[in-house]
Amino acid sequence: MKTAFTPRRQRKFVGTYRPRIEGRAKALGRAEYLDDLALNIKYPDMLHAKVLRSPYAHCRIKKVDTQKAENMPGVRCVITFQDPEAAAFKPTSCAWTGVDTVPYDRMYWPTYKDKRVFGPYCTWAGDEAGVVVAAETEQQAREAVKALEVEWEVFDHVLDPHEAMKPDAPLINPEMNFGSNVIPPEPLCGPEVWFNKGDVDAALAQAPVQVDVTSNFPNTDHGCLDSMGCLIHWTDDKLTCLTNSYQGDQLKVHLSTMLDLPMHKVRVVIPYLGASMGRWNVGDQLFFLFSALLSRRTGRPVRFKHTRREDFHDTRSAIEWRARLGAKEDGTITAANFIGLADSGGYVEHTVAALKFMTGFEIPECMLAPLENIRIEGKAVYTNRLPGGCMRGIGNNQFNLCFMLAVDELAEKLGLDPVQVAIKNFGHEWGQKPDISIKALLEEGAKRIGWENRHPAGQGQVYEYGKRRGLGFSFHMSWHTAWQEIPRGRVQLRVRLNPDCTAVLDAPMVETGPGSNSCAVFACADALDFLDMTPDRITWVDKVDTETGLKDMVQTDSAVSYLHAELMAEAAAQIKDQILERAEPVLEAEASDLDVAGSKVFVKSDPDKSITVRDLLWQGDMTPLVGSANRVPPEEVTGVPYAATFVEVEVDPGTGMVEVQKIVQLNDCGTVMYATGVEAQQTGGQCIGLGEAIYEEIVYDKKTGVPLNFNWVDYRIPTMADFPDIEPVPMEVWLGAGEYGPCGIGEVVTTNTPRAVANAVYNAVGVRIDDPPLTPKKVLEALKKKGDRS
Amino acid sequence: MSAPQTSEKALSLRVNGRDHVLTGLDPAETLAEVLKNRLGLTGLKVSCDEGACGACTVIMDSRAVLSCMTLAVEAQGREILTIEGLDPEDPVVQAFAHQHEPGYGTAMQCGYCTPGFVMTAKAFLMENPKPTLAQIREALSGNVCRCGCYPAIAQAVLRASGQKAEEMKP
Repeated sequence: MKTAFTPRRQRKFVGTYRPRIEGRAKALGRAEYLDDLALNIKYPDMLHAKVLRSPYAHCRIKKVDTQKAENMPGVRCVITFQDPEAAAFKPTSCAWTGVDTVPYDRMYWPTYKDKRVFGPYCTWAGDEAGVVVAAETEQQAREAVKALEVEWEVFDHVLDPHEAMKPDAPLINPEMNFGSNVIPPEPLCGPEVWFNKGDVDAALAQAPVQVDVTSNFPNTDHGCLDSMGCLIHWTDDKLTCLTNSYQGDQLKVHLSTMLDLPMHKVRVVIPYLGASMGRWNVGDQLFFLFSALLSRRTGRPVRFKHTRREDFHDTRSAIEWRARLGAKEDGTITAANFIGLADSGGYVEHTVAALKFMTGFEIPECMLAPLENIRIEGKAVYTNRLPGGCMRGIGNNQFNLCFMLAVDELAEKLGLDPVQVAIKNFGHEWGQKPDISIKALLEEGAKRIGWENRHPAGQGQVYEYGKRRGLGFSFHMSWHTAWQEIPRGRVQLRVRLNPDCTAVLDAPMVETGPGSNSCAVFACADALDFLDMTPDRITWVDKVDTETGLKDMVQTDSAVSYLHAELMAEAAAQIKDQILERAEPVLEAEASDLDVAGSKVFVKSDPDKSITVRDLLWQGDMTPLVGSANRVPPEEVTGVPYAATFVEVEVDPGTGMVEVQKIVQLNDCGTVMYATGVEAQQTGGQCIGLGEAIYEEIVYDKKTGVPLNFNWVDYRIPTMADFPDIEPVPMEVWLGAGEYGPCGIGEVVTTNTPRAVANAVYNAVGVRIDDPPLTPKKVLEALKKKGDRS
Repeated sequence: MSAPQTSEKALSLRVNGRDHVLTGLDPAETLAEVLKNRLGLTGLKVSCDEGACGACTVIMDSRAVLSCMTLAVEAQGREILTIEGLDPEDPVVQAFAHQHEPGYGTAMQCGYCTPGFVMTAKAFLMENPKPTLAQIREALSGNVCRCGCYPAIAQAVLRASGQKAEEMKP
C-alpha cells in the first residue's frame, strides 16, 4: 500500500511533495537540450563530424587513403592520426574527473593513460580509429567515412578475462608496457589485496559453517535517450563548446589544457541533459578534441553527436566476484573474503574504481565494519570488450550481486532468516549495534512484502500453469554523504533578489534528471522564508555557462541537491543584512534594531514602524540585492545510511519467464530533500535495476568479438508494460552533517534489484542463476539441470 | 519500396494549423528532420532514430506516429500536430507537469522522453477518452523512459482523462 512520507522535521518546501520546478517546460517540450540548439536552422554554416570506427575487436590501421573521401560531395575537412597536430595530443585516461575539477596532472588514474585522441590502434569493435571527417550534412560525413580506404592489421582478440590473463593471450594496449593484460595496481586504490583486516584464512578454517559463491555481472548500457555530443565553434582565438556533458568547469580545464588555450578563451555552455546515469564521469571524450580541431581548420561550427549505435560507448564494467564467508552456528559471521575479477574492456577508464574504490574504503569500513576478518582482493584485466566506464551505482551493483548471494546462501545453511543474519552482522562502525538504519529498513521492508509468509526455496504453492512465486531481498549502503564529497572543495552559488521580491538563483549544475534544481529552489525558498518566498517566484538559471556563471557542481554522486542547499542559508543571511542596511534611513533605526519577517522590515523596539521589503526596494535605486556563498560544505564523518529492496517474483517453469510482481524500495535518506523527487528515484531506478535483473546485457559475437545488440530492439530496456507495482518508501533514520544531513540515493536505488530478484527466483523455484540477466533461456537451463540431478 | 522522387517538387505540410511549403527536400528526409531542423519545432526528440523509443512521436491525422520512421513525403497533405501545437493548458500537459502525488514520483526526470509520451498519451486519449490502467500500460509501452517514471506517467494519463488516479497494479 502506498503511504505518504512524513518528515522528521517539517519544512515549508524542502522535503515536501511538489511538482518539479521545470515540469511544465518539459511537459510542453520547451526545455532545451543539445539537439534543440545545435541545429542547422540556428547555425546555418554548421558542419557535421563523423569518426572512423574500428570494425574489428582488435586491430590497427596499417594504411589509410583519404583521397576519395576528401573528394566526396560536401566534405570540408579530413584529419588523420598522421597529421602532426593530431598526433601531438597528450594521451588521456578518459576518466579525467570523478566528482572534483582537476588539472591534467591530477586526473583520475594517471597511470592508465591508455587513450590517444587520434590513434590508429583499436581495442574494441566500435573504437574511435583516428580518422575524422567534417561535411555539410551528417549523411555526407557518414558517406565520406565509408569512402575511406583503410588497410587494417587485424590482431587476435579475447573477450573472456580468464582467457585474457593466460600467457598466450593477445596483448592489448602493448604500448602501456604492462607486460600482460592484467592492469597493474596504482596508488589510489592500492595493491591486489587492497583491504586486509585480521586473519581471514585462519578464521575461515575455524568457521563451522562456510559458503563459497560466485556471481557475474555483465556489460550493460546507460541507455540515456540523449546521446553524447557537442557543437564546437573555434573562431580566431576563442572556442565555444555547447555540449551535453555534465561538467562545465572540468570540461573547460580539459579543453584549455589539451588545446593550449587560456581559460578565458574557452567557453562551455550546457543546457538540460537527457539523462546521464553516471556516464559522463568518462568526461574527457575524444570527440571534443577532434571536433575542436575540425572547427579550427574549417573556421566553422562543428557538430558531433553519437548515433544510437555509437552511444553504446562506455559500459558498466563486467565483474566476477567470488565470496567466501565463514560463520558460527548462531549466525555470527567471522570471516569474509571477496575476490574480484573485473573485465576492463579495451581501456581502463573507471574499471579500477568499479572494482576497488567502494570495496576498498566504504564497504569494508562501513557496511562490513563489525566483521573481524576481511580480505578483499582481485584484478582488473584488459579484454576486447567495451571499456568499463562509469555507470549509476558504479562498483556497488556488481559487488552487491555477490555479497547478498553469499548472505542468502549462508542463512539457508544455518537455517536462519537472511533478514536477521543481515541485521545481526552488518552496519557502520559509528552506529549502534545492531545498526539502526539497517534494522529499520529491513523490518519495514519485510513487513511490506509479507516476508513472514516466505516459504523454503522451491517449496511454495503451485499456481496456474505450474507457476511459482518467491520472495527475495537485498540491501546495500547508500551512496555518498557530505563527507565523501570533500574533494569537490568549494561550492558556489548566488541569489539575486529583484526589487519586486522575486529571485534568480544561480546554483550551477547540469540538470540531468534527479531534480537537484528543484531541491535548490525549495531550499532557497525556505532560506528566504522571511520574505514569504515561494518556489514560483524563483528562477533557476537553467544553463551552465562557464563565462557568465559560477563554478558548476559536477552532476554526479547524487550530492548536488544538498551541497547547494547547505549554503542557501548563508546567501539568504546576506540578503537579509542588505535589506536591514537599506531600511536604516527609511525606518530611522539602527540595523541592530531591525528585523525582517513576513516580507516586512520592522523596528524591533517599535513593531508598528515597518515597511514591506518590496516597497523598500522599489523606492530606492532598484538595484537588486545579491547574496552569495563560496565555501566548503560540512565534512564531518558521520557514516552512511542504507537502502533495501524487497521483491516478489513469479516464475513460469514452462517458459522460463520471470515476472517481477512487486518491488518495495526503501531508502534511509537521512533527510528527504524532495519527497516526490526521492520517490521518482526509488521508482524510476528500477528501470535500470529491473533491466539489469531480467533484460539487459551487451551481447558479443564470440567468434569476431563484435557486439551484436547496439540498438534498443535487441538491447531491451524495460517499458511501462514490464513495470511491476513499485512501492517507494522514503525513510529518515540516520542523520548526517550540516543543516540537512542527507545522503545521496540516486545510485543505490539501482543496486539491490538484480540480487533481490535472483534470490526471489531461487526462493520460487529452487535454482540459482547468478549471472544476470535472468532470461527465460537461463531459467529453463537451470531448471533442466536441477531436474537432471534429482 | 522505391524511393519517392520528390526532390524537385514542393512538399506541402500542415503543421499545428499552419501551412508550410518546403522545397529542395532530400526524398530520404524524415518527418522528424523536417519538423525539427527546417521548421524549428524542437519539442520532439530524436533518440533511437529507428522506431524503438517513441521520443519523436507526433500526431498525424489524429494518430500517433513516430516521426523518425515517417518520411517527410508521407506527410504530404496530412495534418500534423506537434507538442508546440498543444494548448498550453491541455489536460495531458497539465497532468504531466503537476504529477506529484505520494507513492509515484514525478512524471518526468530528465524530460527527454516527455514530449513523446505527452503526444502518445494525447492521441490515445482522443481515441479512448476513459481508458483503464491496463489499457494505458499497453498503449504507452512503445515509449521508453530510462529514468523509469512509468508509474507516475500512467497516473498522469489517468488524471488527464478526468478519472480518479488509482493504485497501479501489474
